[in-house]
Amino acid sequence: MTPGAVLLEAQHVTQRFRLPNGQNLEALRDVSLAVREHEVVALVGPSGCGKSTLLRLFAGLARPVDGKVLYRGQSLDGVLGAAAMVFQTFALLPWLTVAENVTMGLEARGVDGAARRDAVARAINLVGLDGFEQAYPKELSGGMKQRVGFARALAVAPEILLMDEPFGMLDPLTTENLRSQVVNLWRDPATGVNTLVVVTHSVEEAVFLAGRVVVFGSNPGHVREEMVNPLPYPRQERSPEFEEMVDRLHAILTATLLPEPAPATPQRLVPFPRVHVSEVTGLLDHLLTRPDGKGPVFELAEDLGVDYDRMSAVVRAAEQLGWVTTPGEIVQLTAAGREVMAMDDAARKDVTRARLAKQPLFARLVGMLKEGDGAVEDEEVLADLTIYFPFIPAESLFAIVVEWGRYAELLDHDADAGRLTLLGWEGAAEARVE
Amino acid sequence: MKTLRFPPALAPPGLRRLGLADIAILCLLGGVIAMVVSFAREFEAPFSQAVRIDLSPAALPKYTLYSLSRGVLALLISYLFALGFGWAAATSRAAERLLLPLLDILQSIPVLGFLPGLVLGLMSLFPTRNVGLELAAILMIFTAQAWNLALSFYNSLRALPQPLRDACKVAGWPPGRTFRQLEVPAAAQGLVWNGMLSMAGGWFFLMVNEAFRLGNHDYRLPGIGSFMSVALDQGNSQAMALAIAAMVVMIVCVDQLLWRPLVVWVEKFRLDESSGGGPAPSSWVLDFLRRARLPRRAAVLQRRAYRRARRAARPLERPFRAVGPIILRGPRFAFEHPVPRKIGAGLAIAAVAAAAALGAWRLWLLLAQLGWAEWGELVSSAALTFIRVMGAVIVSTAWALPAGVVIGRSPRLARALQPVIQVVASFPAPMLFPLVILLFERIGVGLGLGAVALMVLAGQWYILFNVISAVAAIPQQLKDATTVFRLPWLARWRSLYLPAAFPALVTGWVTAAGGAWNGSIVAEYMNVAGRLQVTKGLGSLISNATAHANFPLLAGGIALMSLIVVGWNRVVWRSLMGWAQSRFGLET
Repeated sequence: MTPGAVLLEAQHVTQRFRLPNGQNLEALRDVSLAVREHEVVALVGPSGCGKSTLLRLFAGLARPVDGKVLYRGQSLDGVLGAAAMVFQTFALLPWLTVAENVTMGLEARGVDGAARRDAVARAINLVGLDGFEQAYPKELSGGMKQRVGFARALAVAPEILLMDEPFGMLDPLTTENLRSQVVNLWRDPATGVNTLVVVTHSVEEAVFLAGRVVVFGSNPGHVREEMVNPLPYPRQERSPEFEEMVDRLHAILTATLLPEPAPATPQRLVPFPRVHVSEVTGLLDHLLTRPDGKGPVFELAEDLGVDYDRMSAVVRAAEQLGWVTTPGEIVQLTAAGREVMAMDDAARKDVTRARLAKQPLFARLVGMLKEGDGAVEDEEVLADLTIYFPFIPAESLFAIVVEWGRYAELLDHDADAGRLTLLGWEGAAEARVE
Repeated sequence: MKTLRFPPALAPPGLRRLGLADIAILCLLGGVIAMVVSFAREFEAPFSQAVRIDLSPAALPKYTLYSLSRGVLALLISYLFALGFGWAAATSRAAERLLLPLLDILQSIPVLGFLPGLVLGLMSLFPTRNVGLELAAILMIFTAQAWNLALSFYNSLRALPQPLRDACKVAGWPPGRTFRQLEVPAAAQGLVWNGMLSMAGGWFFLMVNEAFRLGNHDYRLPGIGSFMSVALDQGNSQAMALAIAAMVVMIVCVDQLLWRPLVVWVEKFRLDESSGGGPAPSSWVLDFLRRARLPRRAAVLQRRAYRRARRAARPLERPFRAVGPIILRGPRFAFEHPVPRKIGAGLAIAAVAAAAALGAWRLWLLLAQLGWAEWGELVSSAALTFIRVMGAVIVSTAWALPAGVVIGRSPRLARALQPVIQVVASFPAPMLFPLVILLFERIGVGLGLGAVALMVLAGQWYILFNVISAVAAIPQQLKDATTVFRLPWLARWRSLYLPAAFPALVTGWVTAAGGAWNGSIVAEYMNVAGRLQVTKGLGSLISNATAHANFPLLAGGIALMSLIVVGWNRVVWRSLMGWAQSRFGLET
């Protein structure tokens, strides 16, 4: 099937939310994206890049603050009737049976009586749930629940199927089985579904499903790159062409995820990645076991069993500390990294402390602490972080700063008094006693 | 894959013959109808001040049913209120900003003080019938039931996962349907459990609501509360015992016939799939009903009627579909266009402000009549009652905390005792007050101290319940850890049970103190065996002002008590609760 006319289009869409702490979060900035008929589009990118937000805008579940969403050239007003949606958390009503859940969308579309019963039976049959009509969702396994989710979406014979990480909560075996079924459903003209938009975390999944992969960058969410995937359906996951496509997407993602080449706005401070001390040492430990102490970031992610945006955050942290370099998508252990792994705990802390003190964010904090005679109130630090990093939840950044500061014995935090103190500062002792 | 439980095959409805259960249901229905009719007749009865209360045992069942009807009616109104209020607060941010603080205040002020005003107002609306008095009593019960229900519904709505809402929107459900099939079911558990608490709370002022004096008027409604107060007046101890027994029977019946089945039934509406710990609760009544054919048959009939109604309405559908959007255009424009929206919001704010200003002005007019001496009296009384309330909280904690830990620690004990305690706690403490007073008189303790004991009766259960559930929720692994490391029992209590129970204990204190303040109105001013027993305090001051129709003093007393309770909640309890949560909360 070849892509036809434009079905859904986002034009210069910007979306903002107000967080509970009063911060404004910009989820998307000036995003334009068109989805054509008969297309399968995958949206990928690090968490918090606004890909799910875009999907909700396409569904008409929210309105953009700025810009427009069009369906067949018409501005969207309310929920898009031509679309159905599949959710990561299934979103089944636990007090309705499978059949009743599948019926959900039919009534509002005016399907009644025998036609409704037929539609439900057909949808249930399509996903292979016959015999489970009267079961309640809590009696089903995760994979079965998601089949109900698909059946509910298919029952209304939607033109467009929107999927928000549909396999995110399922085990690998179930995922593999379900996603080839999704391709079959899309290719089967009887279902009525001719266009898919899927948000996913998995590179393989994007390559398996999509004819076009859109890569998002974060802070705020924006489209970084698009990759066309011309492999014919059904796709063979072990074939060399498939592997090559996966590698290409990996390379694109690495280029967008690892050291941000040109930040959207010039920032004086670099935020410290939100990763734990043990994750960085874990990465270094793993690199030591590899020949030459290096490896591509996606291989590392796979070996260590973490998803790739987590992995790249850990790599960024290690890089800020000078323990790895990242030529291309390769992570290379540096001499300093080798040295630090050979040290005992105390020496390692000393080195970390010296490195951290040079990291711009920590350097600024230490400066604040010295000005405050060794102690600063939490609120002051949080306010400062909010100003410099308006798109990162200040509390979580603060927690990471405290964790690293404590580990390196650079800072201490008094949770009861709500105060940050500088260690090894002559005024600090008094401030803590007070 | 998990093993699946297949639902039992449904028998075709209507083929089985009627069983015993169906006959029981029919009888029950007949009884309910008879009760409603007789209650309605009483409702319409010509007004006569001071209805004669018949103290013979034969009259008691009728009175009990009257009181029960009032409670149930008030509960229904409370549910309606809670649904509207919670929905408004969860849907509109402007409404939320106004309604939540309002709720917070309403649930912590002594509503009993508003009874005289309410009665006089409603009496002037229906001067020749009993309706005014009935409405006043029902409204007073309502004010003791509604707030926690509304708060529970609001919280459930706020906690609803976004994907579920999205799924309903994508399915094209109109808001009404989402409300019926998503929002209310998701809140069902909270609504039922809180309904249970509300019902118990509603009984608290039963005696006062059904029989009270205002100046030289004596207002009475037939009911178990007025039965009790007449028995007290006459010192008829046999009638008193009968009234207490009837109350217990009523509470047990309501628990078994209404709440137990409801609690079991709403298990179906659990959003998370954990079993909630422990075996699923069971109810013999619900099992009985489930075995009956009649409800299923009624459901079939109802579905058939619904279908017929829809078919009949079909010719109307098309014009309605055409006209509907036109009718809705105005409101939609008003809601969506920024200018009318701003004007509307401005008008609403102005209206609220005007109402508040008017209320403050009226209150000021009343309070301006109070002299310095009366203010001094108010403040010194408030100080005395404050000391009693704190004393009651301390005494309640002293027994309820250890007892709660012991019960909560053992699942078997908790399971066995929970229903019993629930029934005991539902019993309106003021009905026991006279007995306690008589007992204290015999030992030679005056009402000054005795009132503390009465306040303990009014507030202790909240502490006990909260501690039990907090201790029961301690993860097994933590308990195992203390066992593995062989902590002596004292260390176990100090390092595990008491800290884990502390946040819940603070929550219990808030409610217990509220109960004690409310209780003071009855506890410090009591009519026992024809003798008036009074001790100085804010509660007796309020009761006294009511009895002598001294409205300025009444307003002053209520205002002062509200101020103290709300202020103390806001400043002391809240900061204590925040600290307890951050320091001892189990979830991080």
